Amino acid sequence: MQKVGDEKMMTQRERIKAVIHFKKPDVLPWIENFYEETLVRWFREGLPADKVTTIEWEMSRRGLLLNWPRVMGFDPYSYFGCYSFFGCAVPLDGGPIPRFKQRIIRENGRYAELLAETGAVLRRFKKAEYTWYSMPMFVDFPVKDRESWEEYKKRLNPKDPRRYPKDWSKDDYVEVFENYRAGNTILTFNGFYGFGAQIMGIPTFNVMFYKDPELMHDMAEYWEYFTIETIRDAVDTLKDQIDLVYWWEDMAEKHGPCVSPKLYKEFFLPHYKKVTGFLGKNKIDRIVMDSDGNLNPLLDLIIEAGINGLWPLEVNSGMEAVSLKKKYGNKLFLAGNLDKRELAKGGEAMRREVDSKVPVLKEMGGYIPGVDHLVHVEFTLQRFEEYVEHLKKHLPY
Amino acid sequence: MSNNLLENIATTLAELKNSRKIKELINEALGQGIPVAEIVEKGLRKGLDSVGKKYEAGEYFLSELLFAASLMNDALEILEPHFKLEKIEKKGTIVLGTVRGDIHDIGKNIFKMFAQATGFQVHDLGVDVEPEIFVKKLKETIAEILGLSSLLTTTRLEMKTIIDQLNQTGIRNKVKVLIGGNAVTKDFARQIAADEAALDAVEGIEICKKWVMKK
Repeated sequence: MQKVGDEKMMTQRERIKAVIHFKKPDVLPWIENFYEETLVRWFREGLPADKVTTIEWEMSRRGLLLNWPRVMGFDPYSYFGCYSFFGCAVPLDGGPIPRFKQRIIRENGRYAELLAETGAVLRRFKKAEYTWYSMPMFVDFPVKDRESWEEYKKRLNPKDPRRYPKDWSKDDYVEVFENYRAGNTILTFNGFYGFGAQIMGIPTFNVMFYKDPELMHDMAEYWEYFTIETIRDAVDTLKDQIDLVYWWEDMAEKHGPCVSPKLYKEFFLPHYKKVTGFLGKNKIDRIVMDSDGNLNPLLDLIIEAGINGLWPLEVNSGMEAVSLKKKYGNKLFLAGNLDKRELAKGGEAMRREVDSKVPVLKEMGGYIPGVDHLVHVEFTLQRFEEYVEHLKKHLPY
Repeated sequence: MSNNLLENIATTLAELKNSRKIKELINEALGQGIPVAEIVEKGLRKGLDSVGKKYEAGEYFLSELLFAASLMNDALEILEPHFKLEKIEKKGTIVLGTVRGDIHDIGKNIFKMFAQATGFQVHDLGVDVEPEIFVKKLKETIAEILGLSSLLTTTRLEMKTIIDQLNQTGIRNKVKVLIGGNAVTKDFARQIAADEAALDAVEGIEICKKWVMKK
């Protein structure tokens, strides 16, 4: 593996750029993402609580339209010495504009059902003992058929000026992105599966490939147009400053991908090639796909689509970074894959998991260690700190 | 002739042809006077079995599984009026639900669709179900199988609470406990003394079929 840098220490940004380009940094970067509920637990267990200023419910983050509580005012990344992919993200809004007006549709003593900004209806617990520990359950979606899709499309105008911040002064953003050092810069958007499942729900979206293929072709085509046109200005402006594209999918379950290679070839691949082709023409060629579950049957096609990075590589679903590196070499950079279940056990189980993977993958190159998904609430603070201490011994080259 | 037609129904379902084609074949079978039980067993369920096998073999994925279940439901709708005239034997009875504290049901619902299509009677208690409700329903229905689902690692311990209650109320040895959902593993099933863990809906159905066949 080619070595970069000299005697002086590399910045975090230089480190991650080195790894995703299959070069050797001075110290391996390390990436984590935390459930906010985990941080809340850790404050109870001794993390300095005076650093928390507020906790709020956030309906939209980086255009990915998630919904969970957010601990504000505490930065676990600098505290523990890791970083997230999202240190410096292009401030694009890839959601429906205008947003649906959030409101409670119905509630009882135990649950509230809310219309979210995406137009989906989600159910949440109201009781405090469950609120922190439960992702919402989506019970209804805005797109069900051709007619509702045509209606929804009206909110997906890529040229809507509200997609960019009011202070979108290109020179200022170029400067900020250019000078960022604490991690990588990133452009985020949803892949077609993530996009479709979010507005139709997983069961309907999956079945529609068979029930109404014409609708799905239309949606895929529109996704391509919407994605390219939404990001066009940001790419034109920041093409020399964007280190990485973050492509959210969540398109697999434990057993395997939600769509077959055949469907992927027909409905996804042509459009994905257009989007990655557009990025490539602008010299943006590092793309990490975020998907839980077992992606193995689709990997050849994912690579053919122009995606060259994977996170979080869930061990529970059969994803094995060492085997993937052996098979795909420098066609893929990998992040995560440390089994959250083993790490949370602490002690020997944790050390075995780290020691069996990190040194091997570090030598193979193109690997960023981290938990194989967000750090969940079953991690005690003590066990996480134990893991951090042990992992850090492996990071320097 | 009838065997060919039933085989055709099975193949049409297994190959995921469209709903219209399956409906045509079923109407043809009814027109020929083939008993509904045979259409279901030798046609539709045989086809669904093939879908399950293709899924397990990595030939089919979630989209195919869901579409097959929807084809099956369309077919059963046509047959529904005939069920009253002919007694279709149920394979067994399952009480099913997502445990207390968890409101997720996609996996549970996929399992339910397949269980019903395979011939099980399913009492679906929904999501966020209190342990006592499971126990009450099991006593009321004398179901052979209890299916418990949990997406979240934080709520999967509820499964242990339910098994404890089955023990306390003296019905544990009368019911097989199958656990499923993203949070469960085979190891976890052993830890909490569940009878089995299913890693997907198809595996879950196969386990249930084996249990009722042994009875």
